[in-house]
Amino acid sequence: MANENEDKFDAIVVGAGPAGSACAYTLAKAGRNVLLLERGNSAGSKNVSGGRLYTYALELVEEGLYQRAPLQRKIVREQIMMLGAESAMTVDYFNPAFGGNDAEKKAAQSYSVVRASLDEWFAGEAETAGAILASGQVVDGLIEENGKIVGIKVGEDEMRADLVVAADGVNSLLGQKAGLFPDASSHAVGVGVKETIELPDSVINARFGVTDAEGAARVAIGCTDGISGGAFMYTNKGSLSLGIVFNADQAGKQKRHIQDIFQDFKMHPAIQALIEGGTSVEYGAHLVPENGYDSIPKRLYRDGFLVVGDAAQFGINTGLIIRGMDLAIVSGLAAAKAALKTTSPADLGPEYMRQLDELLLMANQKAYRNFHHIFEINRIFHGYPELANDALQFLFTVDGKVPTPMLKGLLNTVRKHASYGQLAADGWKAFRAL
Amino acid sequence: MPNCLVCYKWTLDEQDIKIKSEDLSLDSSRAKGKISDFDRNAIEEAALLVEKLGGAVAALSYGTAAVKQSLKDVLSRGPEKSYWVADASAEQADATVTATVLAAAIRKIGPFDLILLGEGSSDLFNQQTAPRLAALLGLPCLSFVNKLEVEGDVVKATRKLDDSVEVVTVKTPVVISVLSEINKPRIPSLKQVLSAAKKPNQELTVADLGLTPEDLAPKAVRKSVKGFVMQRKNIIFKETAAAANVAKLKESLASLGLS
Repeated sequence: MANENEDKFDAIVVGAGPAGSACAYTLAKAGRNVLLLERGNSAGSKNVSGGRLYTYALELVEEGLYQRAPLQRKIVREQIMMLGAESAMTVDYFNPAFGGNDAEKKAAQSYSVVRASLDEWFAGEAETAGAILASGQVVDGLIEENGKIVGIKVGEDEMRADLVVAADGVNSLLGQKAGLFPDASSHAVGVGVKETIELPDSVINARFGVTDAEGAARVAIGCTDGISGGAFMYTNKGSLSLGIVFNADQAGKQKRHIQDIFQDFKMHPAIQALIEGGTSVEYGAHLVPENGYDSIPKRLYRDGFLVVGDAAQFGINTGLIIRGMDLAIVSGLAAAKAALKTTSPADLGPEYMRQLDELLLMANQKAYRNFHHIFEINRIFHGYPELANDALQFLFTVDGKVPTPMLKGLLNTVRKHASYGQLAADGWKAFRAL
Repeated sequence: MPNCLVCYKWTLDEQDIKIKSEDLSLDSSRAKGKISDFDRNAIEEAALLVEKLGGAVAALSYGTAAVKQSLKDVLSRGPEKSYWVADASAEQADATVTATVLAAAIRKIGPFDLILLGEGSSDLFNQQTAPRLAALLGLPCLSFVNKLEVEGDVVKATRKLDDSVEVVTVKTPVVISVLSEINKPRIPSLKQVLSAAKKPNQELTVADLGLTPEDLAPKAVRKSVKGFVMQRKNIIFKETAAAANVAKLKESLASLGLS
C-alpha cells in the first residue's frame, strides 16, 4: 500500500511487539497506510518476555487469528510453588477446560509463547495486511509542529504521519520525548532475568505431567533472597522458559547480584530436577511494568500521538497471574480503533481512552489496582514460604517418636517465623489490598 | 558510467544452525535467511561505484523459493532492480549449475560492464562461481579483489593473493569477485528500506532461460551434511618433572598413531 507521497503515512507505529503489531495490523486491514518500525533486526529479537499469552486479546483483534499464531502449549496446569531452603510446596491446579475445546474450535484460555517467533509472526501478519515493516530502525526523535506530533526521526531520515503510536516498550523513549512522562522510576518497574532451557518434549511432558500439546505455567515465591518478587516457569515446545522478576528498587539496594540469586533458584533441588539435562540457549534481562494501575501515566496521548502497551505501563501482576502481552494487544487495538473512528487530531486521544474503557482494559487494571500492596508484605517473600514448608514437614514427619499434638506443633511452627502481631498486621494488609 | 550487475546468494544464517548431538545432523528449522556475507560486499561495492560514477546497478540471484525473501533486503542496499530465479534445483546446485543459471540469466538481461560477486558463499565457500561464470560468458575474471577503481571502460583492481598483492587493469566487460575487506556494507537507512518496497523485481524461470534438466543437475551430488564436533581427549599429564610429562605425551601421541 505505497503512498503517493513517500514521506507521509497515515500512521507510524514504533515497536513491533504485540501492541505495535496489533495496532498496525488493524489499521492496515482497514486500508490505512501504515509504517511499522522495529529496532531489532527482526521483530521479537529484542524481547526477553517469559511467555504466556491470554488468547482473548487476539480474539478481540480478529476472531480465529490465534489459529495462525505460533503458539507453544495450551496451559492446563496452573502451579504455585513455595520454596524452602531445600524443600518445596507445590499447588497444582489441573483444569482441562482451560485448554479450550478443539471440536468447537474454541481457543484455550492461554498458551505459552516464545516471543521471538510470536512477534515475528504478528509483525508478518501486519505486513501481509499491507503495513510496511522496516526492521533494524531505531527511532531517536519526534517531529513536532504547532504542539502536534507530526512524525519521527530515524538517524538522518524524517518520516511524517497523521498519527505516531509509541509501542516502544517499558521505559518508552518516545513517551518521554513527547513530554508525557519522565524516565521510568525504579519503584514502578521490576527487573526480570530469564533463561530458555531446551529439553526434549518427552522429558518436559514427564516432568510436568502434560501431553505434547498441553503445558504448565508455574509461579514460585521464596526464591528471591527476601527481595519482593517471584519466579515464573512456562513449558514450551522443546524448551522451558524460567526466570525471576525482582522489585528493581530493592534489587538495587541488595548486595548480591540478581543473576546469582537466579542461579541459586535454578540450583534449588526442586527446580534442578525440572531443568536437569537441559541446554541453556538464551539468557536475558529486561524491565517489566510492575505497579499496575497507579503507574499508568496520567496522559497517554498528545495531538497526533498515542502510547500503547508496556510503554503505557499496562500490566497486571497478582502473584498468581502475570499479564502484559494481552493488555498490550488490547491497547494497540484500542489505538487503531480510535484512529479509525476520529478525523480530528484533538478527538483522537480522548477516543483512545474511551476505547481502553470499552475494551475493558482500564476496568481490568482498576480491579487489581491495590493488589501490588500485598507485595509490600515482605514476609511473603521471606518467612511465609519457609513457614509453609516447615508446617508440611511437621505434618508429614514420621520418626517413631511421640508426636507433638497437631495444633500445638503447627502453632510452634508459625511462631518460629512470625509473631501473632505480624500475622494480624499482614493479614489486615492483604485483606485491604484484595 | 558503468552498467553493473551483482550476483548474490540467499543463504541460511549459520549462527542459527544447530548441530544435533544425537547424530550430528543439522537443525536449520529456526535459521533465518541472509544475503551471503561476501556478496553483501559485492553489492556495496557496486552501489558505491554507481553513487560515485553514475550508471546503474541491478541484482541477480538464483535460489530455492526462499530467494524471494531476499528482495527487500537486496533492494534496500543500492540496486535499482532485482532479478531472481527460484527453482528447487538450487537446493543441490554446485558451482557449475549456479554459474550456468547465472550465465543464462545474464545473456537474457545483459549485457553488463561489471559483474560483481562475493569471493565465496557463507555456506559452501567453493570460490568457484565467479570464475566459472566468467568462463561461460567468455569474459575476463578478477578474483580476490580488495580494491576497485573504474575509469571509463578501464577497471583497475587490487588482488590480494597468498604471497603477493597484484594490481591489474582490464577493460570491461569483466567478472569480479571481491573480498570482505573491500568495504563495509551499509546498514540500510529507513528511506532506503522504504524505497526498496517500490523498486521493481522480475522473476526469471529456468524455462524462460531455456535451461534443461541436464543443465540443472549437479556433477557432484551431496549425499548428506553432518556437523563437526571436536572430540577432545581430555588427558592431563601431572608429573612433576617436565621431562616425564614430555615422555608421557610422546607415548600418548604414539598410541594414537601421531608420532
